[in-house]
Amino acid sequence: MSENMHPNNARPVPFRGGGFRPVAKRGAAIIVFTTLILLAEWGTRTGWITNLTLPRPSDVATTLIDLWRSGLLWTHLSVSLSRLVVGGTIGITAGIGVGMMIGLFSYVRAGLIPVVAALFPIPKIALLPLFVIWFGIDEASKYALIALGTFTPTIVSTYGAVDNVDRTLVRMGQSFGLSWWSIVRKIVLPGALPGILSGLRVSVAIGIILLVAAEMLGAEYGIGAYILQAGSLYDLERLFAGVLILSVLGITTSWIIGLLEKRLLNWRG
Amino acid sequence: MDLTLENITHRYDGLTVLEDVSLHIPAGQILCIIGPSGCGKSTLLRLIGGLEQPSAGQVLQLGTPPAGCLNPLTYVFQDFALLPWRSVGGNISLVLEDHGIRGAAADKIIDDVLARTKLSDFRAALPRQLSGGMKQRVAIARALAVNPAVMLLDEPLSALDAQTRELLMEDLIGLWQRQPFTGVYVTHNLAEAVRLGHRIAVLSRRPGRLRDVIDIDIPLGERHIGDPRLEALQTRLWDAMKQEAMAADQELLHV
Amino acid sequence: MTDFTRRGALGLVGAAAALPILGSPVLAGTKLNVGALRFTSHAASFVAFERGYFDAEGLDVEFKFFQAAQPMAVAIASGDADYAVTAISGGLVSLAEKGAAKVIGGALSEEPGIDGQKILASNAAYEAGLTSAKMLDGRSWAISQAGSSFHYMGSKISAAEGATVSFKPLQKVGAIIGALKSGQVDAWSIVPHIAKALAGGGAVKIIGNVADYLPNYQVTTVFTSADNAANKRGQTEAFLRAFSKGADDFNAALVDKTAGDEAAAEMVKLIHKYVYADKPLEKAGKSIRNGAMRINKNASLNMASVTDQIDWFKSEKLIKDSITVDTLVDPSYSEMM
Repeated sequence: MSENMHPNNARPVPFRGGGFRPVAKRGAAIIVFTTLILLAEWGTRTGWITNLTLPRPSDVATTLIDLWRSGLLWTHLSVSLSRLVVGGTIGITAGIGVGMMIGLFSYVRAGLIPVVAALFPIPKIALLPLFVIWFGIDEASKYALIALGTFTPTIVSTYGAVDNVDRTLVRMGQSFGLSWWSIVRKIVLPGALPGILSGLRVSVAIGIILLVAAEMLGAEYGIGAYILQAGSLYDLERLFAGVLILSVLGITTSWIIGLLEKRLLNWRG
Repeated sequence: MDLTLENITHRYDGLTVLEDVSLHIPAGQILCIIGPSGCGKSTLLRLIGGLEQPSAGQVLQLGTPPAGCLNPLTYVFQDFALLPWRSVGGNISLVLEDHGIRGAAADKIIDDVLARTKLSDFRAALPRQLSGGMKQRVAIARALAVNPAVMLLDEPLSALDAQTRELLMEDLIGLWQRQPFTGVYVTHNLAEAVRLGHRIAVLSRRPGRLRDVIDIDIPLGERHIGDPRLEALQTRLWDAMKQEAMAADQELLHV
Repeated sequence: MTDFTRRGALGLVGAAAALPILGSPVLAGTKLNVGALRFTSHAASFVAFERGYFDAEGLDVEFKFFQAAQPMAVAIASGDADYAVTAISGGLVSLAEKGAAKVIGGALSEEPGIDGQKILASNAAYEAGLTSAKMLDGRSWAISQAGSSFHYMGSKISAAEGATVSFKPLQKVGAIIGALKSGQVDAWSIVPHIAKALAGGGAVKIIGNVADYLPNYQVTTVFTSADNAANKRGQTEAFLRAFSKGADDFNAALVDKTAGDEAAAEMVKLIHKYVYADKPLEKAGKSIRNGAMRINKNASLNMASVTDQIDWFKSEKLIKDSITVDTLVDPSYSEMM
């Protein structure tokens, strides 16, 4: 065809697209992690990294295995998890409730948003001594700390999510004569769920961070107490083992929320 | 059930959107409301359905809605307003649940309206799996499910492409022919107005006043694309509106 | 800045080793950072600084103040502080095991006849029968952190009474006092001036003396980085000399009270610049006098007590079994009792 006949000075148009689009590359993370760990192992073995700077990764692994074999891992993990679950459940449930109220009622919004804004940036750790007086030194003060820590970010993400619910859907509900409660339950709540769930990731991460703070006072067992003790003994192997457990905890909770999102938000496709 | 609009005036923050609109909407007919952008057509529809309150004047219902009518004034929205987390069937059952219709009774209604809108095979599908035209048919099915006395259609075809729009117009005509319903149909598209309207109310640019009401005697079933009578009517409407539309266009630039 | 002077100091240390006969100050202008807590137990350093004993040794000392002993030990390891005085904690031992810190002398000691650390009970626990350390069984004992001196004392005292106590880590002295006042924990042990101030205010009850259970307990030690101990002998010796002179003045004025009332008053005034500086002298003076405990002469170290402490850390699995007294202590600087 004549269209395919080209003069000598013809050249292909240079490709200028591509990039700027993250593509899942399997294994890249594993390679990065393995390289870093091998580097640390090599460095500590040759003395290039002193044992004051970094523990030997293999020693951290041994510490973890010993911890698991001694059964103490479950002792620490179970008390920490129960603190995280109880405190987090209280904080997140209350946070979703208050966030919904702020999203739905103008008076609550006007009254509470400044309170939440004032409460949010307070380092909850600073309030720990006060919590000890209020709730006692045992579990209650730990629950309270984690609950308060997860409470405020959940409120903010929840009312943000409620604000973002498509108003035409609400108007549709009203136009069909749905009751107020039906609109909240069947339109606002499911519509806000994506925002609430993504806020949950942040809240749970804050809960894990606060676990260490909560176990500063009066905790004999718990991952946080274990890390603090390792820190005060300057025992880097245990410190890193504890931090590793927290990281795994973070990854696990994030994975669980991911599963929840997949199940509850399958309509997003 | 007839509807009557008495001297409706509406303002937003001191800006008059509608001024002294009086209109009769007889039962069993489709009334189209047309007008340039920003003339308050959609506002008028929200006033008719009771989603907003007019600043002055009132909307009156004459007579009682027919028996079995769950939601006398029922909307069909431009952007469909389907709950993305509910299936086609679920979206319809949503509007039945609050009336205590569940289980077999609800299934019967859902099957019926899905059949009428040719959606029977898609009952379990989620909105994201449907095309725009299908979504709007679901919305229409949902409106039919509550057996409305008056259907309030707010630019229902504007979000669709031209071919889909044509198909849906035929569907709407078919629905009306099988079971005539009262409709108020807001559009800026003159072709839709002359195809679907028994009467056409023309609004001026803002503040919207009623400029003209035109009756079209041609039965809905006989109106086809390219019908010279409709073309002539459309041209007439356009001539009447052109100046207004241009002025409205200029006006928007200054807002 | 420090880099230059440290290098300079190294050269001077070499010179000092080569020419020990030369009178001081051989180390003129050696800059040192000395870690300190604002406690009466750190008075020896304050006295040596205020009375020019450090200057006389050619040491240009600057204090770095800390809130707790633990970060001070880490600061020594990181080189941010050169010398410090603190209790033997698990952290300090671990740092020594990693070759970062060395104990070079003793400081505060329990001594029979001198008012030492007190055992405290919360008012609630006292009313419920905790009137002496004999009743400790089943009670809770406040500690800052696992492996701290509070932990050691509580453990030794309860063991001596055959009691089982639960230890509550509360991180900071302030938090412990709060918990004790509100009855969240039952018992604690602390230096006398804090104990007496609390008991005097009616917030807690004193139920015993630590010295009854741990006679000659080496409460705090002088320590430095392993590098200083091994390679900067001249500088380290100079520091200890000045420190000991300060300790002598302190003991004479406030512990043995042989220097007379005027010297005692002057000593209190000097210490007040560093300790309780936010309180008026009259109030602070009482606390400072109350807190006066023996600081060992010539920084001599009670090895029996140190050994006992290390053995205890091992028995609690807080430090590695391979650690011995030699790991922790460089005995070449002071007399080992």
